Amino acid sequence: MPPFIRIQNISKKYGVLQAVDAVSFDLEKGELFSLLGPSGCGKTTLLRILAGFEVPTSGLVEIDGQNMANVDPADRPVNIMFQNYALFPHMSVFNNIAYGLQRASLAKNEINHRVEDLLKLVHLTGMGERKPATLSGGQRQRVALARALARRPKLLLLDEPLAALDKKLRSDTQFELVNIQEKLGTTFIVVTHDQEEAMTLSTRIGVMNEGQLVQLATPNEIYENPKTRFIADFVGDISFVPAKINRQDGDYWLMDAAVPIYAACEHNLEAGKSITLAIRPEKITLTPEASGKINEFPVRIDDWAFYGAGTQYRVTGPGGIKLKLFQSHNQPSNAQLRPDQIETGFIHFAPESIIILEDK
Amino acid sequence: MMRIFFQKYGFLLVIWLPVGWLSLFFMLPLIEMINVSFSEARRAVPPYNPAFQIGEKGISFQPVFDNYLLIYDYWGDYLWPAVNSIRLAFFSTVWCLFFAYPMAWWIARSKKPLQHILLVLVLMPFWTSSLLRMYALIGLLNPNGVINDFLLWAGIIVTPIQMMQTDFSIYSGMLLTYLPLMILPLYASLVRLDNALLEAAADLGAKNWEIFRTIILPLSLPGVIAGCLLVFIPAVGEFVIPALLGGPEQLMLGKVIWTEFFRNRDWPVAAAIAIILIAIIILPVVYARYQDKEGLS
Amino acid sequence: MKWGFVVAFSGFTAISGYALAEGNLNIYNWSDYIAEDTIANFEAETGINVTYDVYDSNEVLEAKMLAGSSGYDLVVPTADFLARGREAGAYQDIDLSKISNAKNQDADIQGQANNMLNSASAGLVYMWGSTGIAYNGDMIAERLGDDAPTDSWSLILDPENAAKLEDCGIAILDAPTDVLPNVMTYLGFPGTSTDKAHFEAAGEALSAIRPYLRYINSSQSINDIANGDICAAIMWSGDAFQAAYRAEEAENGHVIDYYIPKEGTNLWFDVMALPVDAKNVENAYKFVDYMMRADVAAENVNYVWYASGNKAAEASIDPEILSHPGIYPTDQAKEKLFVTPVYDTKTDRIVTRVWNRFSAGN
Repeated sequence: MPPFIRIQNISKKYGVLQAVDAVSFDLEKGELFSLLGPSGCGKTTLLRILAGFEVPTSGLVEIDGQNMANVDPADRPVNIMFQNYALFPHMSVFNNIAYGLQRASLAKNEINHRVEDLLKLVHLTGMGERKPATLSGGQRQRVALARALARRPKLLLLDEPLAALDKKLRSDTQFELVNIQEKLGTTFIVVTHDQEEAMTLSTRIGVMNEGQLVQLATPNEIYENPKTRFIADFVGDISFVPAKINRQDGDYWLMDAAVPIYAACEHNLEAGKSITLAIRPEKITLTPEASGKINEFPVRIDDWAFYGAGTQYRVTGPGGIKLKLFQSHNQPSNAQLRPDQIETGFIHFAPESIIILEDK
Repeated sequence: MMRIFFQKYGFLLVIWLPVGWLSLFFMLPLIEMINVSFSEARRAVPPYNPAFQIGEKGISFQPVFDNYLLIYDYWGDYLWPAVNSIRLAFFSTVWCLFFAYPMAWWIARSKKPLQHILLVLVLMPFWTSSLLRMYALIGLLNPNGVINDFLLWAGIIVTPIQMMQTDFSIYSGMLLTYLPLMILPLYASLVRLDNALLEAAADLGAKNWEIFRTIILPLSLPGVIAGCLLVFIPAVGEFVIPALLGGPEQLMLGKVIWTEFFRNRDWPVAAAIAIILIAIIILPVVYARYQDKEGLS
Repeated sequence: MKWGFVVAFSGFTAISGYALAEGNLNIYNWSDYIAEDTIANFEAETGINVTYDVYDSNEVLEAKMLAGSSGYDLVVPTADFLARGREAGAYQDIDLSKISNAKNQDADIQGQANNMLNSASAGLVYMWGSTGIAYNGDMIAERLGDDAPTDSWSLILDPENAAKLEDCGIAILDAPTDVLPNVMTYLGFPGTSTDKAHFEAAGEALSAIRPYLRYINSSQSINDIANGDICAAIMWSGDAFQAAYRAEEAENGHVIDYYIPKEGTNLWFDVMALPVDAKNVENAYKFVDYMMRADVAAENVNYVWYASGNKAAEASIDPEILSHPGIYPTDQAKEKLFVTPVYDTKTDRIVTRVWNRFSAGN
């Protein structure tokens, strides 16, 4: 049994520019997959290749066992929800959604029926006669989704589906999108530059950089174990500390940074090698007094910002180590750790929370 | 002093300058033409007795309806040229649209620097006198013109093809003159067309022809309408093109007005025909605009 | 615009050394109707600064005159147009005593013109001519044989002949007042008639040859007949000789000639006249006087190949011109020549109507 979606060695060159570089991955039926990367990383090109708007320089796309080479966009079991929705401004909501069905020459009754169902699905019942220009941003987004789903594609491509919405609307819509996807069981590929969007939406994420797929894993895995410094930096907040591997010491490895740091590592490391240590802000604990824990040292608090759910600090440690840390307000005492009250403190973090990046 | 003046009254200048311009160069001549059309012809300088007069006896307005009655009495003489004008102008418009649309599409879809070059090329014919362009066309279409000479030389024909004094030569002249007026508004509406809409349509299963019919054409309709009006309106009253390129079968209202003006020396009747022509052309446009507004509200 | 041009022009000539003190003269004449150096010679002799504009139809001139304030001091309308213009009050009488060379004028020609103009002081005939047929002898002989009627209107007006000439091309002037009276003469009616029935009969006769006509146009036939694109045309005498000259220049083997049909034809007179609002009247008189000089008049005739209104000039006119019966008709032909009356508004409308029906081909 072949995978539902198979993308094999897809490359695309524009002159000397390698837009997509030998990308391969498989998707299962019903997956909600995100392609995450900064602008210009090749994710949109890959999306357009899947939709059939671009012909890959080399490689193979298979959907449900069918080779997509030489299949027109119009004939692919793939639909796309465009970044700015690309709703037809001269058509009503109803006609926008019905457009794909009319092209398939479905019976009028059938079309009416299916459009009504879709309107219901996206909570726009009764809005069929409106023109897109009279709708709110969120409503337009839902029309675009309904239109893209109308032909019951095997694969739905969503190009920055939430980018045009304001922040408050975005989180509601995210859950709505996941609900609809789960209800229909359609395979979704979401292209986004927003790591938060990718994290909350998808079952798996493919991170792209400079045309290559640099990591493909679950959101959790990508966050906790980024493969490269680029991914670590791109996904979530993080602080980097340059270090050198010293030696194994009991369960941990001793690293020579500005201060000695103990880190956990499951595999063997090469002593003397320069590496980068990375640590997420929420993994660091800030206390007013020393507590004698492992990986503890004094810091000066440079700056802080109140986020409601917690407070973010910027601190400088011995040897000028600069770290970002985030203290959740789940402990009332944390709320008092403010520079207007204290200027110095101690931080500590578990060796298991340290990410060892060997690439640079 | 000047600065204070402009600061104080500058906005009035901005409003009244176009109003003044339009009144001076559009409304006044039109009003004068209406005035002439209601005047009595006479042998004098000027060759009509103005209906509206400002003189020693004050302002007087004594319209004469004879000119319109004469057109009504001899309607048979004017109907055929009118129908002919509308026919030639209509098909000229159709041909312009037919050739302009793909050109405008191509320009609108070209890359930026090329787009500007192509637009300049479209406008280039306007840099030479239209009269010269018509004579160039005569040089091409004549029985001993370039085209016939070539076809004779190539052995494709044995006797020259009669191209001058035909509908074909009229359409050629109209195309040469009015094509840019069709291309520009089409270009303006096509260049604004978002490529994503075309891709969305293709993605939803539309073939090329369907994309054109359901997306491109309806969205470029304002440009189509503007272009058609820009071509049709002057084409109906066109005088130079049928005079130079057409024969008697291509008699158009422009020539009829010329005849009234120069041969019959009847300026009032000439003015009356022109007024009726304007009414015939303008009223449907005004009506369409009115319907449009009604439909929106 | 016009005045802007005149001012700019006089500024230019002042720099180039003309004596501005003698003032200006604005002339509006037919195109190609004067010897190349006449104006320059006049300016050099008098110091008057001349602005010389041209037109190519009486209608254009007439519209300018009727609109008033044309800015011109001297114009050269054809007599019937001048007559109407005088009726409208667009022209002033001339004082012949101020034109010493008026004595050179051909009394017979001037008399005929004066009859038409109903006045002896409307102006002086500059040149005169006829309407007739220009033809390409070889092409006609090929189709109609050697006894082709190249002395009669029937060459074109007889549908049988017209049908045979269709393939080599025949054309007619787009000038109803110069064609319809001649068709009436051909039909046996007086050319001077203003009877509606006569005009309509002429219109029908023209409609009978309408299918065989290449076109109805006053200017195109000059080139076309010279190039052999058409083989016969109703034309003005001067245009016909211009065509003959062009064919000769081109050395294309086409020989063009012109004849006054034996049935008779209408004469026309182009008259030097002064608009009522002329500003430089004295200079206009000086110019007319200059033009009436025998040597100047002869030079102009030798250049444009029209018959002159100037009798004294004949001594210096090229004998080839003087002896051509198409330019200076024989005494026998003269008997059949007539002068079209000046039509009233009603007749104008009849003429136009008949003409439009014919030219539209329905």
